[in-house]
Parts: sequence; structure tokens; C-alpha cells
Amino acid sequence: MSADYIKDKKILLVDDEPELREMVVSILKEDGFRNVETAGSVREAVETAEKMNPELAVLDVMLPDGDGFELMKKLKKKGDYPILFLTARGEDEDKFHGFGLGADDYVVKPFLPRELLFRINAILRRCYKEEEPLVKLKACEIDLARAEVIKDGEHIPLTAKEYELISALYRNAGRIVTIDALCEAAWGDNPYGYENSLMAHIRRIREKIEENPSRPVSLVTVKGLGYRLNTE
Amino acid sequence: MKSIPKLIRRFLMIMLLSSILFLVLNIGFLLSFTLQHTPNGRPWSTAQEAADSMEETEGIYAVSEEMEQKLQDSGIWAVYIDNRTGQALWHTDYLPEEIPLEYTFSQVSSLTRGYLSGYPTFTGEGENGLMILGYPKDSFWKHMYASWDMQMIKSMPRTVLIVLAGNIILVFIIYVGANSGLLRSVKPIAEGIQKLPTGEAVNLKETGILSELAADINQTSEMLQTQKYLLLKKDAARANWIAGVSHDIRTPLSMVMGYADQLSGSENLGKEERTKAGVIVRQSRRIKNLINDLNLASKLEYNMQPLSVKEENAVALVRQVAVDFINTDIEGRYPIEWETPEELTFCAIRADRDLLKRAVSNLIQNSMNHNEEGCTIWISVVREGKNCEISVEDNGHGATDEELRKLSPAPRYMVCDNSVEEQRHGLGLQIVKQIAKSHGGRTVIGHGTHGGFGVKMILPCAK
Repeated sequence: MSADYIKDKKILLVDDEPELREMVVSILKEDGFRNVETAGSVREAVETAEKMNPELAVLDVMLPDGDGFELMKKLKKKGDYPILFLTARGEDEDKFHGFGLGADDYVVKPFLPRELLFRINAILRRCYKEEEPLVKLKACEIDLARAEVIKDGEHIPLTAKEYELISALYRNAGRIVTIDALCEAAWGDNPYGYENSLMAHIRRIREKIEENPSRPVSLVTVKGLGYRLNTE
Repeated sequence: MKSIPKLIRRFLMIMLLSSILFLVLNIGFLLSFTLQHTPNGRPWSTAQEAADSMEETEGIYAVSEEMEQKLQDSGIWAVYIDNRTGQALWHTDYLPEEIPLEYTFSQVSSLTRGYLSGYPTFTGEGENGLMILGYPKDSFWKHMYASWDMQMIKSMPRTVLIVLAGNIILVFIIYVGANSGLLRSVKPIAEGIQKLPTGEAVNLKETGILSELAADINQTSEMLQTQKYLLLKKDAARANWIAGVSHDIRTPLSMVMGYADQLSGSENLGKEERTKAGVIVRQSRRIKNLINDLNLASKLEYNMQPLSVKEENAVALVRQVAVDFINTDIEGRYPIEWETPEELTFCAIRADRDLLKRAVSNLIQNSMNHNEEGCTIWISVVREGKNCEISVEDNGHGATDEELRKLSPAPRYMVCDNSVEEQRHGLGLQIVKQIAKSHGGRTVIGHGTHGGFGVKMILPCAK
């Protein structure tokens, strides 16, 4: 599911329900995570964090000796690592409060193990980036670190906008990315009215990455919705 | 509120017009009464007629027989005196004894203005004499010294007009005074009554002639406020109870779901056991969705869901939901067709982004839940006049007219005090309806154009 280096990351799981801790640990271990420590209270969590220096903390909000939001503040003072809340408090205000304090994600119980794993892996990938990878496509490779396309031995540079678009598509490789999300990635917070520019950029990207740009196979259009990048 | 002053004005106007009507009627009555007495009321002209009918034949004076008869019938005596000598030239047969037959100037002057021996007398000028008519005693009252200043008579029309105008102004002032006085006391009462149905607290001053009414309204308002508070408290308690229960269920359900999911994929188990674990996962997900729906529906129902409304592009928002579903539908059992017109890239609405995404997700999920063998889902955003229409349709089983009839107005078991048998279908559509309503829009549930079920959310576009 994810790169191996992520599985070495140290995860601290804090929840007052021993059975739930046990279950989450088994889910994480099954997915390949090797360094998972647990705690059942704020005090215990602070102590464990000091010992293990976690690289991700999964926190419950309601703990016997305090709440997860306070715990997050304490943990953040000692080290800057991502925090994911795993809680039964599903109100929007709680979510906003958590995100407002700097949480990286918020999962409401009950959850499917796969959902939790997706989110943990996504956070870790985002926060602990490997070197920019080489994206393999049908007709070429894209070196995101150098922002260039390598096609038939030729190095074709990507413009800034093309790089933003390719990056957004690559982050969601195999999935549709909406026109709006792509415009936002390239043109920022007020992305409306750039649909035609987007189409022009997509056409130029295809000219660089596709064997036959008029019959694209790597960067395909999903009519009316967006685009999908198919990697090899 | 506008009707009250109108009512008062109308009432006062009726009073005013009634007064004028009474006045006119009285004047008319007086005139007709006076006219009725006119035959007796023209003694001066009778006297003149008598004088005119006097004739002299060879030194003998006499009036016509008709005149004589007329005088006799009316009990009037008459004397005709000579202009030069003052002596009677003729008189009626009937003449009271005390009536003289010779007159001095002073007597003539006196009887012309007033009475002669108590008889009201009237004179008419004849050819060479003066006709004196004496009416029965007490038949007329004569004003003996009637005279008016000429200036006054000349200015009479002006004076009458001034008096009339004065009267009208006075009446108008009385009208305005009465009107504003009444309005002043009625206005707060009317405002208070109008505030009552809005649920606003009413606190009127309990003074003046309508103080009792004001006190009653204050009391009613207090009662309504108390009821409202209790009702809100009850609603809040109910929503909090649902939130509390759903919170407490979440952690144990996490374990049921988590372990069942692990077991469903475990290679150490037989196929049958894995299938059973899969069923537990699916049913746990249903419980999870139900908890979420119940919680949101109760909050929307009791107005406890804070709305974070901003201007959003409905096209982008719905497109993202559609894409999220496509991206998670790995098996491709529920293909989604985007039917929004290509030229429509922006349709601004004021909406709570998360709630609206939830509504569209519910509609898509609804199509999936009711078509387990798979179906195609069509999604579109269309601008119709001042509205933005978001449609989700499928080509699945759809619903019969009877089912639609039950679905459209069905009260939910959350707010229904009747039997809940018929309302036990998911809360998904109810939430969609509530979300549309909270955004000032509405929901149309019906047959889709693709043969299955179709729901349209109609929301007002941002100005």
C-alpha cells in the first residue's frame, strides 16, 4: 500500500479503551507498522512521548485525566510531529477545534480499519516526504524533483503551472481530480474562470508526456468532471 | 397593524358624517314644519290682498265676498280707514267692541308694529286707505322692535361662511384629537398582539384606559415565552440525548467494525466465516450511518446545527462529491454520469459546504443502497432562473407512485406522534430535505428521467 520507509515511523496511540488500543495496534501491525506505542491517559501519553519521540500521534479526545486537545498542545511543545484525532466526538465544532489547534486529520469513530490506514499513510507520506519520485508513465517518465519529462532520452522541462498540475494529478494517481481542484492547485484560492486555461495547459502537458497527444492514455479526460493520471 | 388606525379613522368618520346627517335632517324637518304653518303664516300678504280687493261704489266701501268669507272663516276682523281722516270707511260685520273706528297716527304706528287691544294686527295699503286685519288673540307673536344694523346684514354671508369654516375646523380638530388619542392608546396594544405570534417577548405599559388589556397581553406573552423556553429546552435535551447516545455507541461499534473487517479479510478463516464477518462489517456501517444521520437530522430538526454559510460554486461542489464516489467505486458497479451543461462552470449559491456535500452524498448513497445489483447514476447542476437545481437520478428500481406519495410528505418518526410503522425508512432523504430547507430551498422527489428514482434539490442562487 505504501512505501516501506513509512512503516518504520514511530506512532503513539492514546485512547482510554484498552480493547480499542489493542485493535488499532493490530490493524497497524497488520499493515506493516513496526513501531507503535500506546497510552491510556494524558499523563501516560506525555511520559511515553518523551521516551519514544513519536513521529505521529493518534489521540482520543476524551481521556480520563484531561482532553486530547490539551494533550496535543503538550506534545507539540516537545516535538513537531503530525497529530491525528481518533474520537467518538463527531461534531463539527470539535473537528474545527482540533484542526484549529493544528491537527493533521480527524477520524470519527466508528471507523473502518482501511480508512484509518489510508489516513495515517497519507499523513506520513505528506509529512515525511521521500525524495521527489520518478513518475513512470506509458510513454515517458516525469522527474518531479527536476520538473522535467524524460521522453525517448530527451529532457523536456515543465513550466511552473504544468508542474503544479502534474503534482496534483500524481498525488491522486489513478483517481479523478476535478477541474476545480486542478484550477485551485494551479491558480490558488480563487480558481473560477480558468477552465479554458486549464484545458490549454493539459494539452501542452499531453504534448510532452503522451505518445499520441490526441489519443491520450496517461492523462485522460473524464468528461465534465476532471482528469486522471494513469501511472505504470 | 395598518388595519387598526384605518378602523379607528373609519369609525370616527362615520361619527362625523352621522353628525352632519343629523344636522341636515333636523334642518329639513324644521323647514318642513315651518312650511306646514305657512297658510297662517302670511298675514301681511293677506292684509295686502284684502286692501287690494277693497272697492268703492258711490261712496260705499266693500271687499269682495270671497275675501270677506275668507276673513270670517279665519276669525279675522278687518277695518279699512281713510288715509286723511283716520276714520273707518269699512269694517267686517264682526268687530270686537274695543276696536275703535277712528285712529290717530300713533295708534296706526303702534298697531302696525304690534297689537291692538291684544289682537295681533297687520296692515295692507289700499288705494286711499289702510286695511287693518286683526287676528285672534294669541294666534301670532310679533316682535315689535325688530331692526338690524345694515352693516351686519351686508356682512351676513361672510359671517356665515366664517362661522361655517370655524365649525369645520373645530370638528376637524376634534376628529384629529380623538383619532390620535385613540391611536396612542390602541397602537401599543395592537403592536403587542401582532408580536405575539412571532414569539417575541411583549412588555406593554399597563397604564391608561386599556391597561387591563395590556396586562392580559403581557401575561399571555410571558406564558408563551415560558412555553417556548420549555420547548426549546426539551428539544435541546432530546438532541443532546441523541448526541450522547450516538457518542457512547461509537467506541464499541469501532471495535465491532474493526475486528469484523479484519476477520473478513483473514486468510485463516473459512469462506463462510469471512462472509459472515463481511455481513457484520456492512451492518456495522449501516449502524454507523444511522447514528450519523440520526444525530444530524435531530440537530437540523431542532435548529441546533450551526450553519457556516458562504458563497460556493455549486458546480464545483457537486462535481467533487461525484468524483469522490467515482474514485471509491473500485468495482465500477455504480458508474456516475455527469450531465451538467458544459457551458455552466459556475453557479453561485450561499451554502454550508459540508452540509450540501452531505446532502448530495446522501442522494448518491441512496441510489446505491436501493440498487444492490448496481445502477448508473446521473448527476447534474442546472441554473433555472434564480434557482440552482441539483439532480441525482438513477436507472435502478425507482419507486411506485404510491411509494413516492408516502415519501414526499412523510413526517419522520423523530417528529411524528403517530404510528411509526410507515416512517421506518432511512433518514437519508429526510436529511436532504432538511438541508435544502435550511438553505431556503426545497426538494422534489419523483421518477427519474432515466427510469429509476430521481431527486432534485432546488436552491436559491446567490445574489
